[in-house]
Amino acid sequence: MKYFIMILQIGILFLFNFIGQLIQGFFSLSIPGSLIGMLLLFSLLFFKIIPLTWMQAGVDFLLKDIPFFFIPVTIGIIQYLTFFYGKGSLTILLVIVSTFIVIGVSGIVTNFILKKEVKSYD
Amino acid sequence: MTNFFIGITAIAGTFILYRLSKRIYRRKPSPFTMPIFLCTASMVIFLSLTGISYETYMIGGQWIDLFLGPIVVSLAVPLYREIHLIKKYAGAIGIGIFAGSLTGVFTGIAGAKLLGFDDWLIQTVAAKSVTAPIAISITDTAGGNISLIAVFVMLAGVSGAMFGPVILKICRIEHPIAKGLSIGTASHAIGTAKVLEDSEMEGAISALSMTLSAVVVSFLVPIFLLLFITS
Repeated sequence: MKYFIMILQIGILFLFNFIGQLIQGFFSLSIPGSLIGMLLLFSLLFFKIIPLTWMQAGVDFLLKDIPFFFIPVTIGIIQYLTFFYGKGSLTILLVIVSTFIVIGVSGIVTNFILKKEVKSYD
Repeated sequence: MTNFFIGITAIAGTFILYRLSKRIYRRKPSPFTMPIFLCTASMVIFLSLTGISYETYMIGGQWIDLFLGPIVVSLAVPLYREIHLIKKYAGAIGIGIFAGSLTGVFTGIAGAKLLGFDDWLIQTVAAKSVTAPIAISITDTAGGNISLIAVFVMLAGVSGAMFGPVILKICRIEHPIAKGLSIGTASHAIGTAKVLEDSEMEGAISALSMTLSAVVVSFLVPIFLLLFITS
């Protein structure tokens, strides 16, 4: 019974993904359909149209092993190994440097605002 | 019929390999024993040595890929669970995540352009700060390369998890909200796992930031690509 409910809940996730894709296609949006589906599910949870308990078990089951599901896509790198031999190797550096800048900028900005908020409460 | 068996073998093989790497990670946690890294690396080596093509592997792999969209949808649940944090720190969280997402998309695209890369790579690198399933969807929609983005996402995660704490110290970022937020915005789930080792609250903020930044980035990428790619 427990597994039956979980399969049903995962089925609902597929349904929301499908609806999201329909919306994306219909309005030809450049935002992924899956994300539209997520925002849709979030709004239904937020306005208590769908209670959290309806989704919980299946979602937690999937989220626990999230990395498993993007292993096949990542293995696809095998087709592009030669890309990283040449100039492509620069992209590794680019991604790392950009990541460091993002940590710095978002951290400094948030830290600054939070400190200011604390002061204004004094 | 043979295709069916190849498919089942590919799925079972991936699953067993994943379970194994998870166990190894639990015993020896390090960025290099992370299941996504260990599993991918060993599978790539295995396929290269045996000469099995990616297409053959994907006879089974495509079934796993089907879950990528629904997983993005499922992120609505953890986001809803952290709603109290969003409400309490709405201003700081909103501005911080927006600033970080903007920086990530801009430095990625501008950097690739400066280094003289072609349009397809610019379309690929743009979403690299975002959690893998959403990054893959964004890149697919933007016309980039989905295998390469998966690798970029992993790089952003691992580098942020490894060196994030040092950067936070150098920049004197001390507030736990700011610490969790910046790692989640830059290094998504991999960074979140790292942050979670130190503090439950920073972990919650990090998880929340990775989801919200993914939403922001999915809006920013098409806009920036329109500005930077003139074709």
